Amino acid sequence: MSRPREERRPPRRWLARQTLLTRYLLIVLGAFLFIPIIIPLASLLYMTFDSVAGGDRHASDALKYGNAAQVEQAWHAEAAAMQGLSEDAVAERLRELKAKYTEASLFWVDESGRTRLVLPEEPVMSVPDRWTAADAVGFMKRSVNGDPFTVVSFIGGSEAGADFIVLQLPRYLVRAGSPSGAGAPYMLGFILLSVALFAVLSLLFFRHIRKRLLRLQSAMLQQDGHGIPAPVEVRRMDEIGGLEQAFNGMVQQLKSGREREREEEELRKRLIANLSHDLRTPLTVMRGHLYRLQNEPLTANGRSSLAVMEQKADGLSGLIDNLLSYTLMTSGRYALTPAPADVLRLVRESAAAWYPVWEKAGIEADVRLPSEPLIWNVDRDAFRRILDNLLQNIVRHAAEGKHVGLYLEEREGGSAIVVEDRGPGMRRKEAAGRGLHETGAGNRTEEGSEIGAGNRTEEGSETETEKRTSSPSVRGQALEKGAGIGLAIVDYLTREMAIEWHAESSEGGTRIYLLQRGAGELF
Amino acid sequence: MGATLLYIEDDKEIGAFVKEHLEARGYGVKWLRSGERAVEEAAGCDLAILDVMLPGLDGFTVGQRLKKAEPALPILMLSARTSIDDKLQGLQFADDYVTKPFHPDELTARIEVLLRRTGTGGSEPVAVKHLLVYEKENRIVRRDSGEEIGLSGKQFHIFMYLLRHLGQIKTKEQIYEAVWGDPYLEGDKTLMVHIRYLREKIEIDPAAPEIVETVRGIGYRVRA
Repeated sequence: MSRPREERRPPRRWLARQTLLTRYLLIVLGAFLFIPIIIPLASLLYMTFDSVAGGDRHASDALKYGNAAQVEQAWHAEAAAMQGLSEDAVAERLRELKAKYTEASLFWVDESGRTRLVLPEEPVMSVPDRWTAADAVGFMKRSVNGDPFTVVSFIGGSEAGADFIVLQLPRYLVRAGSPSGAGAPYMLGFILLSVALFAVLSLLFFRHIRKRLLRLQSAMLQQDGHGIPAPVEVRRMDEIGGLEQAFNGMVQQLKSGREREREEEELRKRLIANLSHDLRTPLTVMRGHLYRLQNEPLTANGRSSLAVMEQKADGLSGLIDNLLSYTLMTSGRYALTPAPADVLRLVRESAAAWYPVWEKAGIEADVRLPSEPLIWNVDRDAFRRILDNLLQNIVRHAAEGKHVGLYLEEREGGSAIVVEDRGPGMRRKEAAGRGLHETGAGNRTEEGSEIGAGNRTEEGSETETEKRTSSPSVRGQALEKGAGIGLAIVDYLTREMAIEWHAESSEGGTRIYLLQRGAGELF
Repeated sequence: MGATLLYIEDDKEIGAFVKEHLEARGYGVKWLRSGERAVEEAAGCDLAILDVMLPGLDGFTVGQRLKKAEPALPILMLSARTSIDDKLQGLQFADDYVTKPFHPDELTARIEVLLRRTGTGGSEPVAVKHLLVYEKENRIVRRDSGEEIGLSGKQFHIFMYLLRHLGQIKTKEQIYEAVWGDPYLEGDKTLMVHIRYLREKIEIDPAAPEIVETVRGIGYRVRA
């Protein structure tokens, strides 16, 4: 589905095409591979900083006499310069040097191994008066890399004269702090920085994933007018990209499903419309001819037959309308939009529309509704339809009672609209049905093929004021007289609008109650 | 009355019958079997009667085209469709709606109402009991004495509203909202007061009104 789109897209960077797992593994691998680079780099950094720091210290004269090498060099130079000087001059020079190197101990040993001069007079370290070869070797051994820092120079620059002068300085004077530490913080910092870089990269990576997931989530929640989310743009072909693609596929499927549903609905509507047309056209023609017949001279019998035929044509037409409406409704094609409305006003308007019909049929109307509005949450058209169907039933099946009453009565749970007639009542129809099939019902098992017997016996056992809310028996029972579809529509619409309806029927008439519970609290 | 009606119906039997019936009532009838030439033929007609199911163009499309070409032309839809399905769609442009199978008298009654409502009904006065009403001239005359009855604006409006819906009962909310143009407020006695004054002027015996009839618990109506 999304393949062509994929091909249309310009080629992506190699990295962008990789899966998330690969990309993260690449980051980890990069981090590992970086270790051998980080270490030498850190060392290089260390050394650079060390030398720079050392240089800095020299420049700022952090070491009083320079570093060890410089002190040694200076001492050798001094020794070389003493070549050929008299003993007094050497001693004099050494005293001068002592003044220069205040912290130092100096001594002079002549070629015979006798210590000629020790400065200061009280040396820190004992100096033998006469030096044996073993003394010299021992001293040299002790002095290498020891503290104090020791420089031994032969006067004249070589071993030629074999007189030697020794300079001993405390080691700290020639060595800066810790000689191996100058670059260490930098190196540590660099390593830490590298670890931090890795952490930041990981964080960015996951943040990016999170952002894309959140984007996808919000795209999923965003719906168009039909409750279908819009497809998202697939930017990368990784796991999330796959998810996005799957999501788009789903959206596509939903859309085509909705489209198919709409088409089916359209088809069904058209079918029903055509059916309605085909059924009603001949009825209209019949109607026309009946009308023409009325204007012909006819006997009284002929006239009454004509009246019956006309009445039946009317009934048939209503039945067709109800049947088709019911089909549409129950297939969920009739959308109700309930809104707060004054139902008493709707009742009055319905009564106004039906009044001429009642007058014609000699039905006395007793409408006693308070003028205060009664607000229910209803779809106006659907509520009118309910009233129409109930009132129509009275005209069709209870006209002999010559009465229709519309009242408002307090019932448990609120105000109920009452539609009353004094017709034979539903009960009588049922009773008739029951009487007819009383024996048959008893032997139902033997005469199981008897149509409707089961239905009627069930109704026969109903109590006088049985609730008729969505009871299928209403349909079953009333179908006999053609009221069934009308009541089924009432049943369906009341259920959809959370209106309770039930009928109390007796020989003396029928009272139908309509009640929306808690309607008062809603507004 | 002599109004010319454009009638579009594909069914030959129904068409022939309705045409005959309407012509018997004094209307001129232009009957078309399809909606293709409806707009051209509509010129000079006072009202169009449309069948919803037509070959080629369906009645709704024809109706919409007609309304676009001749906005003032009242349209009456004849439909065999279920009321629940198409009523609203039809009424968006149609001025009234009659469902098949219709009673021929109902059709003529609706046509008369529509013609009267749109003012095509002619300048002939409508006779109501002892009154003659010249709607176009805003004039009401007593038939016996020829004496003119002067009504206030609202009284006249109320009377005309009921007259236009001759024989139909209108609830007080419907009348109030049609005449005043505002939503009816509960407990408002204005309408009752106006109707009382109206009766005092037009009824012979305002205590036993014959023209503006009260239908108890429902509303008011004017019957011919």
